[in-house]
Amino acid sequence: MIRAAAALGLGVVLAGAASAQTPERPPVIAGCPTENLAWHTCALQKAKAFTPPRTPSGRPDLQGYWRSRLTQSFSVEGVPANHRFAKDPVQPWEVAPPEIIDGDRKIPYQPWAARIGREGVNFREYVDPRTTCSTGGVPRLALQDPSQILQPPTDDHVLWLHEDHHQVRVIAMDNRPLPGKDVKTWNGVSRGRWEGHTLVIETANFNGFVWIDDSGNFYTDTARATERLTMVDRDTIHYQATIEDPTVYTRPWTVAWALIRDTTPGGYALFEESCREGDRNLPAIREQGFKLYYGIPWRFR
Amino acid sequence: MRDTLSASIVFAALVTLAPAATAQTSPIPRMPDGKPNLQGIWQVLTPAAWDIQDHSPRLGVPAGQGVVEGNEIPYQPWALKRKQENFANRATADPDTKGYLPGVPRIMYMPFPFQIFQTPTHVAMTFEYTQGVRIVYTNGTPHPRGPIEWWLGDSRGKWDGDTLVVDVVHFTDQTWLDRAGNFHSEALHLVERYTMTGPDHINYEVTVEDPKVFTRPWKMSLMLYRRKEPNVRLLDYVPALLMDEEQAERERRKTN
Repeated sequence: MIRAAAALGLGVVLAGAASAQTPERPPVIAGCPTENLAWHTCALQKAKAFTPPRTPSGRPDLQGYWRSRLTQSFSVEGVPANHRFAKDPVQPWEVAPPEIIDGDRKIPYQPWAARIGREGVNFREYVDPRTTCSTGGVPRLALQDPSQILQPPTDDHVLWLHEDHHQVRVIAMDNRPLPGKDVKTWNGVSRGRWEGHTLVIETANFNGFVWIDDSGNFYTDTARATERLTMVDRDTIHYQATIEDPTVYTRPWTVAWALIRDTTPGGYALFEESCREGDRNLPAIREQGFKLYYGIPWRFR
Repeated sequence: MRDTLSASIVFAALVTLAPAATAQTSPIPRMPDGKPNLQGIWQVLTPAAWDIQDHSPRLGVPAGQGVVEGNEIPYQPWALKRKQENFANRATADPDTKGYLPGVPRIMYMPFPFQIFQTPTHVAMTFEYTQGVRIVYTNGTPHPRGPIEWWLGDSRGKWDGDTLVVDVVHFTDQTWLDRAGNFHSEALHLVERYTMTGPDHINYEVTVEDPKVFTRPWKMSLMLYRRKEPNVRLLDYVPALLMDEEQAERERRKTN
């Protein structure tokens, strides 16, 4: 009930993001079926036969505006038809297959951590950190749309700009080691490389203050992410992210979905999404008794 | 002895030659299309974020010579009074104390690094402070039709020789120019000029126009220095979230 009231307060902020994501799942994207695992397998197969457009320096050209598909923000473990929020009158959760494509398609939590994530302690007691105007983090930013990829012709960085709370991923295309473990950041520190046609991004130095989805699924400051972006056709990117964190999981696990090019007639541009500057929701949610997250359930368990 | 002497001579020669070498126009890095390559991590060394005008030290505020041309800001009479009130109440009235985006040009001279990225059609600036982002379109497109009130405005750039000229409009009246209470309205219009004076320096000039607050346009000028540490990377400093983190910690201690 508290959650429903909070959802009402959140409606103004999140309605745009949630409804803009995937109103309806089309039967095919890039000629592949749109259940995440089936799409993943098919899209990677198709990508082998596709030669992506090139930048002047010969790299795959991923530049442009992108929106996610085959995504919902409620749970990376999917939302079954009989889920308790599937028919919520305020903010129904979209029934959807898991975004996770490996194992039993659940997050392989250690037992203590499963009680915190997966609509557990986090969900019951804490404000979703994205709602406090922080960031979706990795990989959640990649399903908050829209975003823009820029590739400076000097090939030393790839910049992934997200409209969501003006978040940025700076991907250094160099071999410099990542900073020491005590350097912690919201979106992590990233370095990238090209493997054939695929942009591979390795990220660490997370502060562990973000959630993976609305259900309170989480990782800690020992997490590492490996993301792979592969063009399937001119207007579709296969996105996958493997998350590992020995503090909370028993093995690495992987999500996959599609990024499709925004082809709005007349062009598109990212708007400034200031958040804290106009926020009216957080105090209302806090009045319901939800606590600020900051990794507190796992840091002080 | 001989070695020491020749070393001294070499040293003396370096000292003598160095200023001469830098006084000439040093070569600047360039993009494949020949435009100056402004990319990298940059930071100011002036205390302009506290006060853009000449000022003595205050506790926690380094002394500084101003960055305003002629040092005087041509306020309209009502606005000068407002500036003085702002100064008196700055500890709580400065929007920056709430953790909001600091606006432009203030975000350029916050004492934090920012990074510039360049493609033929975009110059993007990402800021460690507040995780702000400016996207400067250099693709010949005009400002969108207003009124729009953005905290960091709308930026459109073009090259004037080797100088990047950026026109910025569509601001809010909610940001200040510094902690000393210098301010503007939503009618603020900036023209910024980014000129590399060497591989590691950008001369940054900004003309400030706001007919609601000032009697005429005026100008600031300051230097951006390249961060040269081999391991330097942009991290994050988001005041609003750091305030929340302290609050979370206070609440945790209270309940435990």
